[in-house]
Amino acid sequence: MKRKAMVLASAMLCSQASSVHALEVGVILDAYHKSETTALGGRTEGFGSSHSELSLSQDVADLATAHMALVGEWNEEESDLQLEEAYLQSTALPGGFNVTAGRFLADIGYLNSTHSHSDNFSERPLLYRAFLGGHYFDDGIGVSWLAPTDRYWRLSAGAFTGDELGEENSVSSIGTWTLSTEFGDDIGNNARWQMGLSYLRNRTQESGHHEDEEGDEHEEHEHEGHVHGADYQGKTLYLADLVWKWAPQGNNRQKQVKLAAEYAHVDDVYGAEFDHYDGWYLSGVYQFDEKWSTGIRHGRVNLAEEHEHEGEHEWEASHLTETSVMLSWMPTHTQRLRLEYKHQDANHMEGADNAITLHYQIGFGAHAAHSF
Amino acid sequence: MLRIASKLFALSLLALVNTAQALTIFTCEPEWAALSEELAPGAKVFSATHVYQDPHYIEARPSLISKLAKADLVICSGAGLESGWLPALQKRAANRKVIDGADGMLYLSQYIKTIDQHETEFFSTKHVHPEGNPHFHLDPDRVLKLALVISQRLQRIDSDSQQLYQQAFEQWQKHWQKSMEQWQQQAMTLIGQPVVVQHTSFSYLIKWAGMDAIADLEPEPGVPPTMAHAQSLIDDARQEQPVAIITNWYQNDRAARWMSDKTGVKHLNLPATVDLKGDINNLQRLFDYLLIQLQEVQ
Repeated sequence: MKRKAMVLASAMLCSQASSVHALEVGVILDAYHKSETTALGGRTEGFGSSHSELSLSQDVADLATAHMALVGEWNEEESDLQLEEAYLQSTALPGGFNVTAGRFLADIGYLNSTHSHSDNFSERPLLYRAFLGGHYFDDGIGVSWLAPTDRYWRLSAGAFTGDELGEENSVSSIGTWTLSTEFGDDIGNNARWQMGLSYLRNRTQESGHHEDEEGDEHEEHEHEGHVHGADYQGKTLYLADLVWKWAPQGNNRQKQVKLAAEYAHVDDVYGAEFDHYDGWYLSGVYQFDEKWSTGIRHGRVNLAEEHEHEGEHEWEASHLTETSVMLSWMPTHTQRLRLEYKHQDANHMEGADNAITLHYQIGFGAHAAHSF
Repeated sequence: MLRIASKLFALSLLALVNTAQALTIFTCEPEWAALSEELAPGAKVFSATHVYQDPHYIEARPSLISKLAKADLVICSGAGLESGWLPALQKRAANRKVIDGADGMLYLSQYIKTIDQHETEFFSTKHVHPEGNPHFHLDPDRVLKLALVISQRLQRIDSDSQQLYQQAFEQWQKHWQKSMEQWQQQAMTLIGQPVVVQHTSFSYLIKWAGMDAIADLEPEPGVPPTMAHAQSLIDDARQEQPVAIITNWYQNDRAARWMSDKTGVKHLNLPATVDLKGDINNLQRLFDYLLIQLQEVQ
């Protein structure tokens, strides 16, 4: 009995409520060298930094988290500093709901709401660069709901100003809204999967003035390197994604195979006399020990370009394919060095090239936990 | 006789449980799942990780989000061990019962003193947690304290079954203290024995048994072994004659096997926690097994 009392006393002595919410500060520095500029955005040639980030996170009691991310970009052509995230997100509302308000990454597709520093390749897939400006964040409000089912099933919706999607926005209220759903589960002890479907309704260029914008639109296509907005837009964007991961005994520290595929379809395109755009990619990454991984990604986008033919402006189908191969080394948990070769083929599109990129990334301080 | 009595006792506890609403417990590590099963008879217990997985590197995958969403109580080591994945699960699961600060979220590191606490600098590239070593389930004394912490938490969030949890704890404690006496005797023979380790997984046990970790195959905590670093340890290993090179089941043991070949020191690959699907399925059996293995290499 005496011993038990002692155990009790010491347990009580040691117990300290950890109700102090500290400000979490994180920094990610990115540096690269790319041999050539390639088509459809991404990194420009020469030395640069593509996505260096300062992030601040603060819990507001147990109600919400405030998060902010300032992203910097430098290369031989331009330098830019941008607020990519500044939002309040509820910690947990009753019934499995959560609300996010402010500027945040839209909850669509597989990669869009993940941070690019956790990507396996040095640039986002073609379809993200063409249809979403690399990644789509905007000012708005989002709601998500986790269904109380045994198998993971989540629904989310968002409404945004639309100001960050393209260079122009002709509506003053809700410029875009989104709907998405995802499912996922384990298969035995070694494999996991997740699939998602998303819908983005884009109203930003709906007021019918696009006829006089054709010329400007074409110029935008030539704006290479850093992409602020999506170059190829339409009234609706559909996305489907599927991710499958495999690790012996689920021990992904030692070994992991990750396959991901996404498909995008843009209907009622803006600024072009053309029916629809679409695109897809497939990627496979094999992490073969704690420090090394290698991967290949192949993707294609089907777009439209304007050409002058006997004095007439004509729109014709164009496409771009891209294959990237990479080898990545993580000497420590916070650093990554990646060598990547990219090959592009284009039809009726300019700027396609091949490039070698050497990319280094290091993180300091607090680092938010990654999603699947 | 004792065994039969304890079985009868367990059965009577189960009878008590059937009348109450069973708790759903989610643990980050399997050791706490094993302990919860003993301390909360009848509860539905799920462990997010198992003995073959490195608990530092878990992905916040869909099935774990669904499990966390349904939990009444979450028990984790804390001290930064799960910081790469648990916050992502909590965010997605949106379960108010188990958010940080709620009664249903129990970080055990807050109730004991961890070893190897560090001052960390912001621009350090080292992967160490200022909160200290989170693998404290390998210290029988700390486990004893933490079992009480868990039991008290169970009693608080499910006060209808308070008596059940109290009885289960007392029963468990009696066994544990008895076993500790035996382990202490076994540990006497281990005092001062040098070992080479890989990561700080067994630090608490080594300290508790009075053994001496003379070298770590990891060049820095959390950084996987390199051949250059292993090479630099060879001379020490030859001089100080460690009794074993210890790795655990979720690690890559290439460097340890290489060193064992070079020096003739025995390589011991040991479970760092309980194996819920195997024979070593509770902490009692884990200590029994680990101490016997360590005694045998001498």
